[in-house]
Amino acid sequence: MINPRKARNTRKGTKSDGGRMLLFSCISCLSWLSILLVATSLSAADAEPFAFFENKVRPLLVERCYKCHSGTKAGGGLSLETATGWQKGGESGPAIVVGKPGDSLLIDAINYRSLEMPPKDAGGKLSVDEIAVITKWVADGAPDPRIESAELGGMTREEARLWWAFQPLPQNDTDPTSTNIDAFIQAQLDERSLTATGLADKRTLIRRATYDLAGLPPTSEDVDAFLADDATDAFDKVIDRLLESPQYGAHWGRHWLDVVRYADTAGENTDRPLPHAWRYRNWVLDAFNRDMPFDKFVRMQLSGDITDSESAGKQQAEGVIATGYLAIARRFGHDIDKDIHLMYEDVIDNVGKNLLGLTLGCARCHDHKYDAITSTDYYALYGIFASTRFSFPGCEPKGQPRDLVPLLKKSKVDGLMADYEKRVAEYEQQSQLTANETGRLKQLAAESFRVLAEATVGEGKSVSLQQDSSGPLDRIPMRKGEVLQLAVLPNGNHGADTTRIELEITHLGTDVQWNVSELIPAFTKGGPAIRRNGATWCLLDVTDGPVYLHEKKGAIDGQSSLSGWAIGGTPSSIVNASSDPVSVWTTLPPLSFFVHPGVGRNVAVAWVCPEDGEYQVQGVVSDAHPAGLDGVSFRFEHFASPEYGDGLVALGALASAKASPRPAAPAIPVAYAVAEAEPKNERLHRRGDPEQPGEEVPRRWLSAFGGQAVVNSGGSGRQELAEWIVEHPLFARVMVNRIWHWHFGRGLVATPNDFGSRGDPPTHPELLDWLAARFRAGGYRVKPIHRLIMKSTAYQRRSTANAMQLEGDPDNRWLTRFARRRLTAEELRDSLLSASGRLDLSVGEAHPFPPEASWTFTQHNPFNAVYDSNRRSVFTMVQRQRRHPYLALFDGADPNSSTATRQSTTVPTQALYFLNAPFFHEQAAALAESVEQKSDDAARCEFIFRRLFQREPTVAEQEVATTFLAKYPGELHEKWSAYARILTASSEFLYID
Amino acid sequence: MYPLSNTRRSFLRSAVTGSLILPGIIEQLLADGRDPFAMREPHFPARAKNVIFLFMTGGVSHVDTFDPKPALHRDVGKEIKADHPEIKDRPGYERIFLKQPQWEFSQNGECGTEVSTLFPHVATCIDDIAMIRSMHTSHSNHYNATLGMHTGSFAFSRPSLGAWVSYGLGTENRNLPGFVVIAPKQTYAGTQVYANDFLPAAHQGTLVVPGAEPIANVKPRVPTDRQRLELETLQAMNLAHLDARHADPELSARMRSFETAFGMQMAVPDAFDFSKESAATLSGYALQPGQTTGFGWQCLAARRLVERGVRFVELIDTGSSGNWDAHGDMMTHVGLAKNVDQPIAALLKDLKHRGMLDETLVVWTTEFGRTPFNNSADAKGREHHPWAFTSWLAGAGVKPGIVHGATDEYGLRAVEQPVHVHDFHATVLHLMGFDHERLTFRHAGRDYRLTDVQGEVVRPILV
Repeated sequence: MINPRKARNTRKGTKSDGGRMLLFSCISCLSWLSILLVATSLSAADAEPFAFFENKVRPLLVERCYKCHSGTKAGGGLSLETATGWQKGGESGPAIVVGKPGDSLLIDAINYRSLEMPPKDAGGKLSVDEIAVITKWVADGAPDPRIESAELGGMTREEARLWWAFQPLPQNDTDPTSTNIDAFIQAQLDERSLTATGLADKRTLIRRATYDLAGLPPTSEDVDAFLADDATDAFDKVIDRLLESPQYGAHWGRHWLDVVRYADTAGENTDRPLPHAWRYRNWVLDAFNRDMPFDKFVRMQLSGDITDSESAGKQQAEGVIATGYLAIARRFGHDIDKDIHLMYEDVIDNVGKNLLGLTLGCARCHDHKYDAITSTDYYALYGIFASTRFSFPGCEPKGQPRDLVPLLKKSKVDGLMADYEKRVAEYEQQSQLTANETGRLKQLAAESFRVLAEATVGEGKSVSLQQDSSGPLDRIPMRKGEVLQLAVLPNGNHGADTTRIELEITHLGTDVQWNVSELIPAFTKGGPAIRRNGATWCLLDVTDGPVYLHEKKGAIDGQSSLSGWAIGGTPSSIVNASSDPVSVWTTLPPLSFFVHPGVGRNVAVAWVCPEDGEYQVQGVVSDAHPAGLDGVSFRFEHFASPEYGDGLVALGALASAKASPRPAAPAIPVAYAVAEAEPKNERLHRRGDPEQPGEEVPRRWLSAFGGQAVVNSGGSGRQELAEWIVEHPLFARVMVNRIWHWHFGRGLVATPNDFGSRGDPPTHPELLDWLAARFRAGGYRVKPIHRLIMKSTAYQRRSTANAMQLEGDPDNRWLTRFARRRLTAEELRDSLLSASGRLDLSVGEAHPFPPEASWTFTQHNPFNAVYDSNRRSVFTMVQRQRRHPYLALFDGADPNSSTATRQSTTVPTQALYFLNAPFFHEQAAALAESVEQKSDDAARCEFIFRRLFQREPTVAEQEVATTFLAKYPGELHEKWSAYARILTASSEFLYID
Repeated sequence: MYPLSNTRRSFLRSAVTGSLILPGIIEQLLADGRDPFAMREPHFPARAKNVIFLFMTGGVSHVDTFDPKPALHRDVGKEIKADHPEIKDRPGYERIFLKQPQWEFSQNGECGTEVSTLFPHVATCIDDIAMIRSMHTSHSNHYNATLGMHTGSFAFSRPSLGAWVSYGLGTENRNLPGFVVIAPKQTYAGTQVYANDFLPAAHQGTLVVPGAEPIANVKPRVPTDRQRLELETLQAMNLAHLDARHADPELSARMRSFETAFGMQMAVPDAFDFSKESAATLSGYALQPGQTTGFGWQCLAARRLVERGVRFVELIDTGSSGNWDAHGDMMTHVGLAKNVDQPIAALLKDLKHRGMLDETLVVWTTEFGRTPFNNSADAKGREHHPWAFTSWLAGAGVKPGIVHGATDEYGLRAVEQPVHVHDFHATVLHLMGFDHERLTFRHAGRDYRLTDVQGEVVRPILV
């Protein structure tokens, strides 16, 4: 990393003392401010003189003075927050003359001589002791470590103070009309001698407005009604109708989901599903439909869990769900916790861009290069989020999700849990009967066992039973009910190992054979006691007496050919039923049988003898997963007790028949959301590296905006952060600009996520401020802003411009026309469904993800799915690591970072979609079916034009259709399907004028 | 281009009744530079016109393939200390020992560069190869290292190398995409390895999955004569729509995209139709006639795509499982090497034979190497190793038959002339005619580039 700002460092250096200057020139790659902090904190010699200040003076200033004399609105212009503050002083001049309390205004004021500070309404005069503290400090030279840089990241404080986007909003209390908007636009047009296009026709206007507010085409009835309505407020009525439709929320909620980079998966290496994220998605849609005041909307997303914690049920739940905004932050890496600093960056980056139009994420490794944001600002916010508990989606090394937030009152949850515990107790009691039996069998086993062979199987090695047998295995006399058992022990290995077993038992005389391989084809069809040829195979945990592996496992690691029996994860017994090897954690050979001991748990396969006789045994035990550490051991035993075998068979019948599985935990509705955690400040990460911690940074607001500290003791500071954000003028500016952008395709600021110095300046600054002020004055309601904008002439202009307009205003920056646009991915899909008549307007909820308990996602087998549905596209399941192919093709939002502006590309693979995509063909065919109901081609043609374009075909179009239908070979349905494809692939269908 | 002259307008009108092929009109309409596929000049004359990027998923062991370490045989079982990311706080890895390579190395060709018996065919091409034995990367996780090798970013989504090349140069053949990825399965970083991210979507890699329909939606669903009828009527309708809208370039670009798509339906199957390849060529790539899968198929398809003007072809050998990630058993390298060895050699020879190697850069790499140690000397596998691995380049602008850089005696660290992934990318871009510091894209308020703020061209390997 090279810092190109050497010259600037030198300039800054003149403001500091010579000793530190040396440091600057030595290390050019760290930013100035962080060096300063480091230098300050490391210098032991410097620390001593500040002790008195830190112990006595600072607490006093914070407690008694900061309330008025800090932040941007410091009383009388005096800030006591920094040394520079009192050096510069306020309206009455410098506050302190170093070393001379008698000449210092501050001392004067606290003694109630000239001024009376702190005033009576702010706690009144300081105590005698307190005055003595301040006086001594001033007399000692007022040593103050709070040295403030004149620069904040890429701007000077002065530049930041004057930056256009940070200025207070004007008052806007007058009754607003859309004429105001047009006046601002006209002024810019006049200045450039540009003339704008005339008004669009009504048909164009209603199609534009319907897509714009609902993301869907109008019906031909809607269009007819509007055309027939000659009232002056006809269009107002259209707008009102659309704003009241629930489809409005589905469309404008989607805009918001773009900005918050909504996704239904976590984004870490296995890209796990987030089964509860949909609640946040639907809350966003609903909030738009309700026209929730935007400040409330944002406060809830940042801190709804806190602000609504005391509210009644539904509202409390809503507050929690809203914080899904924070929880859906992308997770990174294999072990999420190891890369958690990247999640916080994702949060800070999104909060910055989304709510303030500031690229805060740039300050992770160094001060912002262009804007007034320092690295300490970044870590001040980091501390706020690190004091928050985020729902954890699970990850490969850390298992399943946790810290999901219940949506029921605690008392209700407690009630459900009590009931659950009762049912578990009953279940346990039933199991106890089995436990008694296990105890009896353990006793029988101990009295009757004889070890036939035992050995250790080295890492990756195979050992045959014969090789290590103490006696012959080719002639074992057995009675009916006696048992042969091969137990595999984890050999002290912490994770144990996948162990392949080959075992064959032959009845001498009849030559009847039993082989574990015969268990493979229908391994999990019955229970873990499997009868074959009169004998019974038993799959057991034999750590402490025999217990059946009673939990059935299917499609292990996502592989359909792997199934098995287990207790929890391990011990287990699994088979590969495929005639091909399967690569999972290790390569499992075709048609193979395994046992897997658990940590400190022994696993066994036992065989209960069907009739008296002599038996021969052959077998091999292999360590099939040589990545472990120390292999496994086995013990092959004969239990010469028919009672033992009979007991195993009876127990097996019980295990197989156990109708009542362990009671499931109660379904407590939960949200993927956040909660408060232990508040703590974060230390600066030098160069963004969490392993190089620097100075602790107190949680606070951005220094350019006053840097107020988080004071609410015990809280993370999210609540204060939400207040600071919604009170800042950027908040309203950024959102009205987004609304403008989503209506016109281009914001008044063309970079909606960047209002900093690298963003574009506003084309119509007064209009932006007027709208922002109006937004604030109107209680931050979004729907009135739609009405204001859509009733303006600017919104209702034609999209077809003349040469002068195109040349004089090539990017339509000055709004000489309405910008034609392509349908978004969602609009196109919804329109195709709407054309086919198959669009399902019901609200989608949870996705059909596989149940959590079955998740075995790994980096080698990550989650990946595409779920089909005829619902609106906003309900499509969005994955982070493997993009939805359709959304990727038509420039859907990036689920990994905030999308302020959708791209609108034109690529041949999109054209291929219109030629050959099965979904596209299906919709056209369904449309053709409706068309065919009409009596003749003229009526059909009229019907299809009205359905798709809400207009009659022209005579020329009728002719083209007739010619085409005549020329096109095939049945009526083929002809009309083809014609439906043409019309739905046409530019008229895909573009909005 | 605005406004349309009367002549042009009537020309357009007359074309409404014309055929599917609208001669020249769309070309003229698009002559304003908005075409994302338009050919663009690089910063300086390029040595390579095309790239074939061979990516081996999972982490190939350098000490068992291209980086011989006799000292590992000599000192096998010796305990060493290393502050290695893969063993830190890992139970059972408190002590580590050198593990010896399982394959013999021998000198090859005139240059005498050593290659192990895992790659006997590639060894026969060694005089065309510039071997970099001092590669290193920034992360020891598959996901991060795979993403890094493709995008230069080890955590966040960024445009991939192929997308940058496509963005920089445009496309030569409009009937085929400029950046094609042939992969039977997805790597650890999913679709992000060929994403355009913030670059215009025209530059995203087009995924080819070996098999019946290699590119989605490319197979015509109606017979061509019917489709032609549909397209004629569609284009006529679109032309009327366009005409009423002053030839909006976006609308005309869309019209041309249909022409291209129509062409792709022929060009794509043609590129993947090997029936006219000689039996000798097919057997060179270890292909049976009619075979549509396998790495040999991918390699031959790559040659055919490059022949047809595709800028950047990436071949991925395996997906996120069943790959080179040999924790359990190094012997899995045998099958994986066998899968790619002969096809790669065939590709190099085929390109050379056709005179294409002079203009085509062939890159072979993986995401990281494998540890020369394990927690016991007779452990069967090796762990992830970001500190050192081997990649190689061959073809256009690359010095043939050389070895660049070296690891220490155990292959633990890249010690001589280390080459980071960013340097590797800078070098590939340089060969394509780009200064990696100047190939930038303005996004979210700043200029982004493939190499972030790093990267130095590895000049010693350039001709």
